[in-house]
Amino acid sequence: MSVALQAEAIDVAAEYSALVGHAPGAAVATFTGYVRGESEGRAVASLELEHYPEMALRVLEELGQQAEARFQLSRWRIVHRFGQLGLAETIVWVGAVADHRGEAISACEFMMDTLKTDAPFWKREQGPDGVDWVGSRESDSRRRARWRSEG
Amino acid sequence: MSVTIKLFSSLREALGVSEIEFDLGELDGAPLEADVAAIKAALSKRGADWQEALNQPNLVHALNHKVVYLEATVSEGDELAFFPPMTGG
Repeated sequence: MSVALQAEAIDVAAEYSALVGHAPGAAVATFTGYVRGESEGRAVASLELEHYPEMALRVLEELGQQAEARFQLSRWRIVHRFGQLGLAETIVWVGAVADHRGEAISACEFMMDTLKTDAPFWKREQGPDGVDWVGSRESDSRRRARWRSEG
Repeated sequence: MSVTIKLFSSLREALGVSEIEFDLGELDGAPLEADVAAIKAALSKRGADWQEALNQPNLVHALNHKVVYLEATVSEGDELAFFPPMTGG
């Protein structure tokens, strides 16, 4: 039931153990996002993630609380990186524990779809073609909007 | 007392500054509070780079760490941030 913003790589195994603890619920779902080597046809060598720390913390804590209420989670965790990230490094990790798989999986999807458009992080990709801020994607906005219409 | 203005991502880069203090006294009538639109309009007059940066499509404004519309009321001591659409995750 917490949020972490960190410069260092995410220890996925440790995060999973801490989330599940000694008393796992019936269903645990997690999602891990990694830096991709390609973005819209351009090669990516590394990524810089700028963030607005106070607002990011607030937005992600509210998001976890919303997911908890909406999907009856017994536990949740959101970890997001900032700073300089290399290829294939972890960017984000979310985890949800619920009584049933549907709620746990949906909670992870809801948290990811929402944080992509609502949490104040900005990606800047570095590659052979230079350095470029990543633009917002219409597909991300559509995925975000789904959760509004599905109530 | 003034309003803290924060700029992120491409706005911060274009303007070469991440944070400034804005005195509401700079506005006509020196009001104690103003809406986001009035502050944005005043900042836009600081130069062609400010005009361009603050009038880009899809500009986001956050007041005290919450996304707001241009009509939101800003008071002394508040923190107002401007930035492009968010691209985390």
